[in-house]
Amino acid sequence: MAIVNPEFANEIIQYGAKDFKACFNCGTCTAICNLTEKNANFPRIFIRKGILGQKDEILQSKELWLCYACGDCSVNCPRQAAPGEYMAAMRRYAIAGYEPTGLTKLIFKSNPLSIVITLLLAMVLGFFLFTMKPEMEVARWIFKYLPYEIIHTMGLIIFSFTALSMVWGMLAMIFKLRKIAPKESKTKTSFFKALSAVIAEMAMMKRYRVCDEEEDSFWLKKPLMMRPWAVHWAIMWGFIGLLIGTALDFAFKDPATTYWLPSRLLGTIAGILLVYGASMAIIYRRKKITRTYQQTTLADQMLLFFLWIAGITGFWLEVAVFIDADTIVNHIVFVIHTIISMELVLLFAFSKFAHAIYRPIALFFYNNS
Amino acid sequence: MKEKIGVYICHCGGNISDYVDVEELSKMFFAEENVIISKDVMFACADSNQKAMVNDIKENNLDAIVVASCSPKLHLHTFKNVASRAGINPTNYVQVNIREQCSWPHSDKPKDATLKAAGLIRAGINRVSHSESLDNIEIQVKRAVLVVGAGVAGMKAAIDLARLGNDVYLVEKDYFVGGRIAQSEKLFMSGQKGKDIIANLFAQVKSYNNITLFTGATIEKVTGSLGNFHVDINIKPRYIQSNANPTMLKAAMNDCPISVDDEFSFGFKKRKAIYKNYDEACPDVPVVDVEALRDADEFIAKYASCFDFKQQDAVLSLHAGSVLVTTGFDSYQPKEGEFGFKTVPNVVTLPEFNKLMALHPDKLVFNNKAIKSVAFIYCVGNRQAKGENKYCSRQCCTSAIYTSIQLNENYKNITAYHLFRDIRTYGKQEILYEKSSKQGDIYIRYDEKEPPVVSQGAKSILIKVKDFLTSKKELEVEADMLVLVTGMVARDDSKLISEKFKIPIGNDKFFNEIHPKLKPVETVIKGVYIGGACQGPKNISESVQSSLSAAAKINALLKGGTVSLDPIIARVNNDLCVWCGKCAEVCEYTAIKEVEEGDKHIARVNEAICTGCGICAPVCKTNAIEIAQYTDMEIESLIDGFMQEVTLTDNETESHEEAENETLKMKEFPQIWKNILQSIDGGKKNIPQIAEEISVDTDIVTYHVMTMNKYNVVMADGMDEKEASYFYKRKN
Repeated sequence: MAIVNPEFANEIIQYGAKDFKACFNCGTCTAICNLTEKNANFPRIFIRKGILGQKDEILQSKELWLCYACGDCSVNCPRQAAPGEYMAAMRRYAIAGYEPTGLTKLIFKSNPLSIVITLLLAMVLGFFLFTMKPEMEVARWIFKYLPYEIIHTMGLIIFSFTALSMVWGMLAMIFKLRKIAPKESKTKTSFFKALSAVIAEMAMMKRYRVCDEEEDSFWLKKPLMMRPWAVHWAIMWGFIGLLIGTALDFAFKDPATTYWLPSRLLGTIAGILLVYGASMAIIYRRKKITRTYQQTTLADQMLLFFLWIAGITGFWLEVAVFIDADTIVNHIVFVIHTIISMELVLLFAFSKFAHAIYRPIALFFYNNS
Repeated sequence: MKEKIGVYICHCGGNISDYVDVEELSKMFFAEENVIISKDVMFACADSNQKAMVNDIKENNLDAIVVASCSPKLHLHTFKNVASRAGINPTNYVQVNIREQCSWPHSDKPKDATLKAAGLIRAGINRVSHSESLDNIEIQVKRAVLVVGAGVAGMKAAIDLARLGNDVYLVEKDYFVGGRIAQSEKLFMSGQKGKDIIANLFAQVKSYNNITLFTGATIEKVTGSLGNFHVDINIKPRYIQSNANPTMLKAAMNDCPISVDDEFSFGFKKRKAIYKNYDEACPDVPVVDVEALRDADEFIAKYASCFDFKQQDAVLSLHAGSVLVTTGFDSYQPKEGEFGFKTVPNVVTLPEFNKLMALHPDKLVFNNKAIKSVAFIYCVGNRQAKGENKYCSRQCCTSAIYTSIQLNENYKNITAYHLFRDIRTYGKQEILYEKSSKQGDIYIRYDEKEPPVVSQGAKSILIKVKDFLTSKKELEVEADMLVLVTGMVARDDSKLISEKFKIPIGNDKFFNEIHPKLKPVETVIKGVYIGGACQGPKNISESVQSSLSAAAKINALLKGGTVSLDPIIARVNNDLCVWCGKCAEVCEYTAIKEVEEGDKHIARVNEAICTGCGICAPVCKTNAIEIAQYTDMEIESLIDGFMQEVTLTDNETESHEEAENETLKMKEFPQIWKNILQSIDGGKKNIPQIAEEISVDTDIVTYHVMTMNKYNVVMADGMDEKEASYFYKRKN
């Protein structure tokens, strides 16, 4: 027996849901959705759960993550209850709900606070950066008060904090999804089959491509690489490619000047993908090209902007290395690049970025059931 | 016995003549005795044929006509009018239906269809030869209307009837006008207060000298019929001196030491023993509650000049031409224990809750508890699949939702839960539903088979409900107050009214109209009309609409001073009647009364009431009752005619194709065909050209040219240059 909680609806609105209270349960949203199916029913039932205040059921659901926000439901809603925006808000609520520190809640609920946190973090990171150059005067001044070891430990703690939060969030989600997952059923697929399905989906995003067929085939008339799934694919693989490239670079200490090394080549290609994807996504949001891009939050915008800055500054530095690396401008660009990249990594568990972990988990449970 | 009968058999442009051999039939009946004219015509209803019929009747001095064509529902009045125009009584006309009864159903057996048509036409000829000339019955009517019930529907109708020049007797059972609306508060959609609407209407009622209002009055006895109803009403006294000083009365109302529960406010507050329903209640004269005031001698002595305890019930007799019943409805009263009503505290009905909100405008408090959440359960006492009240009350969804919107507007932070079965906010009321859900009201749909269960929780009311919209998930709703959204039921005294006026009552216990679409405010009792919610659940606009349409109907009826009624009624043969009373027993309209005629008692039919239903004729042992136009003579001769053997000339050898190729032989084409033929005789033409030449609409020309083509009057002759349309020429 579940108690109806009328307060919950107001909380969801803080996460960016619009007039979802206007829903009168006609089910048009579910009917027109290309992705909803027998064992993954949304968005209507989720709006219902939100209105009735069934928090647990929302955190226990894999369906939230099966939606790629094409916006067709919002366009066709007879009551303008914006089910698409509601699903996005619910995903934000879930990210905040799984993560244990409460930091995500602050970032999602309050725009000023999210800016303050970002700036504060940038200052701390800048501070760390200067300590990495002991020959500079600023660094010497800092070391007077804080020994290098303490700073080093602090850095480790901060990184561990992010990593632990992410792991906690993952475990929390898995635990909640397991609770309602059917224990034994005939249709249940094997662990490896489900895992390979998740990897296949991540690689090519077949479901996202189904999404592009919506909105009166608006996207089907555009070239393949301009469609939302391609833009998202570019950002995702660009970022992953850069992560791998950076890791290889770091591991083998390659001399930075040889451009034909595999790690550098990978970095360059991935960088191009990331900048292309981020640019397109930013342009679509500016132009509000379809319903999906009309309703966008500051957290969304910031993530994209950071990715874009990180990509552009990365290229700048790559070029600068060949010409003359040792100018003031290049130093500043390097500082910005490093701060932004670090912020992306540090805020991973506390931002929209976390969906990169939660969505595959949900997909696994979906495929495994 | 008619000696000069005209028979017209219609082709209906092939609808009949494709299967029934109309030419053969017309020849056959020409040979019939007493038949002077027998014709087959292309379209009997065509203007040209109607004119020809009138000429035939006049020239040959016909005394009766028979048209064998389509259903009388379509053209009975057309040919009755032809008869009238030609100067014969329309009752000497009989229509025989050979389309719906012969050609259409027996299209597979043309010969049998023709045989059947022959039988039916002969039956018609036989019947018409025994028909009588009957004139409509004229009845003198009094231009006065009795309106029963002075709610919004009754008052609006009374005002309009008075404005149109009728005398109106407006009879109200309560001491004050306004009915349910005076009792309710803000009304959807306008937000006007019921009391204000009533005050406005009462001012209008007062401004008409030809409206007489009786309050505290009930219907005692009704006699008479259409045009001349005699109604006795009983008027209860107010026990107030007619010349009492108004300031003194006001003082008495304030001073009165005795208070009793105020039923008008559902017992939520007290009223004095000398009272008005509410401060602005109309008419502005208080009533004395004699029972309650019995022992207050001191008070009575003090204000002796106000009271008149000698007043007694008065019976008045009113004479009216027509009656409009607008007695309204009762709110459904839940049974004890129904959704916790009277067994769980803080459970009230919607009208009660509205009154409660009006009494607490600033902060909602009930039973010393501040109300923070309110649950509504819909369809209480309505739409019961297995219960008595199967209907939907139409207005309660909107009413509850409007209340919920006011809850949000008047008080802060009140959560509203709506436990509904279906939301029916039809028409413009839908925007209220949208507003309510947008403001955050929680809607939970339940199934009739699994209704919510109400119990008393630790702090508040606990309602267990299965949410139909999330696979019947079991939910618990905690609410400080539960409002039962009750529907409308027929008034418990409606049975009395029905008995007095003989208005039939439906299964739902509301009054029945004759036909929901075509005669929506008329009852089977001539001259008695119904309006407003006494007929079935209606909102205020719908109530007023129906009572105003009844007012218009009544005015049209009474305006001329006389009413003309169909002469098809029961007739008593005084010589044969021995008054056994059987006929009066079976008559559903109480149209038959026992009267003294000379030295014996016989039955007499009230012409104004009788509908000619015919139920009395077969029960009469002495065969003294007959129905005009359906006399034994007519019916028996009709049967004889049908049974008579028919022989058709054998033309089966004639091949079908041959018949098709043969140009249709017609005695006369319609005028438009003649015009078209004239046009194409001057050289082949296409349809647009013909249309232009004879200045007739292209669509109409197309229709006729296609028909002419079908009957081989014209034929296609090549296409025009643009290949847009065919040319046509006369076919020889």
